[in-house]
Amino acid sequence: MKIMGVILQIGFLHVFLFLGIALKHFIPLPIPSSMIGLFLLFVALCCHVIKLEWVEQGAKWLMAELLLFFIPSAVGIVNYQQIFSMQGLGIIFLILISTMIVMGVTALTAEKVSARKKGEGH
Amino acid sequence: MIIAVFTIVTYLIYLLSKKIYKKVTIAAFHPLLLAPILLIVLITITHVSANQYLQGSKLLSHMLAPATVAFAVPIYKNLAIIKKYLGTIAVSITIGTLVAMVSTFLLSKLIHLSDDFIVSILPRSITTPIAMEVSKEIGGLPALTTVFVIITGIAGGIVGPKVLKWLSIKTPIAKGLALGMGAHGVGTSKALEYGKQESVFSSLAMIFAALITLVWGTLLTTFI
Repeated sequence: MKIMGVILQIGFLHVFLFLGIALKHFIPLPIPSSMIGLFLLFVALCCHVIKLEWVEQGAKWLMAELLLFFIPSAVGIVNYQQIFSMQGLGIIFLILISTMIVMGVTALTAEKVSARKKGEGH
Repeated sequence: MIIAVFTIVTYLIYLLSKKIYKKVTIAAFHPLLLAPILLIVLITITHVSANQYLQGSKLLSHMLAPATVAFAVPIYKNLAIIKKYLGTIAVSITIGTLVAMVSTFLLSKLIHLSDDFIVSILPRSITTPIAMEVSKEIGGLPALTTVFVIITGIAGGIVGPKVLKWLSIKTPIAKGLALGMGAHGVGTSKALEYGKQESVFSSLAMIFAALITLVWGTLLTTFI
């Protein structure tokens, strides 16, 4: 029964995705339809147009299994032979280094800023 | 029919990979690395071409779109936390996105990447559907961007926890923001292993990173 509920709710989330796709035609900015859908769902929840229970389980499942949805694209990497060349090694190296820098800087910034905020509060 | 087969096979291999990873917890066995490798081996043995597989597993990659919509739920549920930490989140992610683009650009120059590769790799630290959109806007190749986004996710899932350990990051907000900023959805699923707070901050980081990168992307296309 729980599975049916999750499937139904994922269907309901698609309503917001389709609204996002429709609305995208009228927005001259490069915002993806899924992001517009996210915004619409958020507004609908805030204005109590829909109840949290109507989407909560479906959303939880989609977010918990996020890795699954990346797997086909990861398999698709075999289509890019360049990745397996010397330049590919360079790119992987680049991404590793840059990701480490990004995470390090973001974490340190967050700790500094939130510590300062706490200090001001007291 | 084919879609059903590929979807089920992918799902089973995904479950298997998760199980193996839980047992061994070695970075090289991360599900986003192990599952695709197993699948590549499987389709090679069964003489299925990569494009046939991609067609057949479309339903799964499509789910990234409703999954993005679904992130409205944690935002809504954690509105109080967002209001409380808005400053920290905004500052950290603005700096994070800048560091991501600048470091990627400089390192790309260092290894002499061609221009179309550079514009395709710039939005790599944000979640796929949005990265593809940004890539399109700044003149990159969306399919290539997807590849870089995936590699970023795998890299972040593996080195992320190590970076946090080396820098002895303690607070859930810093851990969550770093994982979501550095490795989008993959980082967020990693954050879930740390705890609830971390995963909330990670989802928020992901959404903010996407939005702020869109702004950078728009500025970049307007002024260049």
